[in-house]
Amino acid sequence: MPAVKKLAPEIIAAFQKKSFTTPILGVTSGKGGVGKTTVAVNLACGLADLGFRVALIDADVDAPNAALLLGISQENPEPVSIGMPEVNTERCTGCGLCIEACRLNALFLPKGGTPLLLGQCNGCEACFLVCPEDAFTRKARMVGNTYCSTSCGLTLFTGELTPTAEESAGVVKALKARAFRQAEDFDLFLVDTSPGTHCNVIFALEGADLVLAITELSPLGAHDLELILSLLDIFAIPSRVVVNRAESPGTAEQIHAVAAHHHTRVQATLPLDDSLVKSYVEATPLIRMFPQNPCALVFSELARFVAKELAI
Amino acid sequence: MKLCITATGKNLSARVDPRFGRAPYFLLVDTETLSCEAVANPASATGQGAGIKAAQILTDRGVAAVLTGTVGPNAVEALQAAGIKTYEGVDPDDTAQDAINKFKQGKFSASSAVSPRGGCGQGLGFGRKDGRGGGWGRCRP
Repeated sequence: MPAVKKLAPEIIAAFQKKSFTTPILGVTSGKGGVGKTTVAVNLACGLADLGFRVALIDADVDAPNAALLLGISQENPEPVSIGMPEVNTERCTGCGLCIEACRLNALFLPKGGTPLLLGQCNGCEACFLVCPEDAFTRKARMVGNTYCSTSCGLTLFTGELTPTAEESAGVVKALKARAFRQAEDFDLFLVDTSPGTHCNVIFALEGADLVLAITELSPLGAHDLELILSLLDIFAIPSRVVVNRAESPGTAEQIHAVAAHHHTRVQATLPLDDSLVKSYVEATPLIRMFPQNPCALVFSELARFVAKELAI
Repeated sequence: MKLCITATGKNLSARVDPRFGRAPYFLLVDTETLSCEAVANPASATGQGAGIKAAQILTDRGVAAVLTGTVGPNAVEALQAAGIKTYEGVDPDDTAQDAINKFKQGKFSASSAVSPRGGCGQGLGFGRKDGRGGGWGRCRP
């Protein structure tokens, strides 16, 4: 069991803070390929069909595919740029504080010289913060695009990282900021994250009121569920577990035990169903294509649970 | 000259580590006296930018040259900016002492990206002249 870090209460409060009242539902998973986006698009459609104004944010900017599953195109591009540090060599005293601050070790300080940006910079701007001489200026670098399309009774916000760029987190932040500017137009934000527990997932879940952690029954699924629930515990975000492909190898007991260990529970269980594959092929969410299918009924029930839980 | 050898252990009998940024230890050796100082490499376990961080550590310690297996492109730039010569191509089966012996025999030449002339010519000259050194190196276990 990995040791769980304790964050200062003010950090948790800052993480949970929002400048609007529209609730945010996160859909995430520790393991990849467990059905996050499938759950997210079906849930978004289910909530839209209940009459709610839903904004679906596909925050998996390294591999966005919610638009594919919904069969809608990405429209209204807006470029995303991040600030790269440029050193004012006249101001810089060569103190080296920026070198220590850079977690990516992207800066190098030759003896008697000024810092050089040699490695990958993700635009975190820690160097700007620590510089006592205010010697850094921002140079914009384009790293991706965000899109906004309205179709299928919902609004889809997607982000896409520019090929060869690595700054996914910058695109995730810009994507959320774009969607949140229109917060009063929506009853709910549904954020579909990338898999894992890395910073893109953390940025995507920032401000979430409730998170659904999707998993499969395999030992790896259980292991990665443990990781994602630990992350949610660190930021004190309420969670529920959704089991996908329930007939696949593995044991439900293990998943229930992991959930119980994190004081949560399995909220929904999706059977293994070929109809989901058919819905992929047709680029139509299952809940719209076969509303009476057993999986579709689980999605509908989950939609009602979310609406009740978030009081929308 | 203060020479850094990337190594798997803390002294000259340790095997060399052919990785520059990820080597667990840097052995800082005075090539005249053969006195050796071991520096644990905090960059070995870093997520990103290990080569740049390693170059920073060597720069701050006043190292003149690095003897290792290969140096990545970012670290090459950093070492170049710091004026540290790079000698690549150590045999991973060699101990640090073996590598020093070969270095003193001039069996390594400074990487062209760092020093296109200088080290290369000098190194070869040494190697041809001092045949005994090579034999000695092989005799050691």
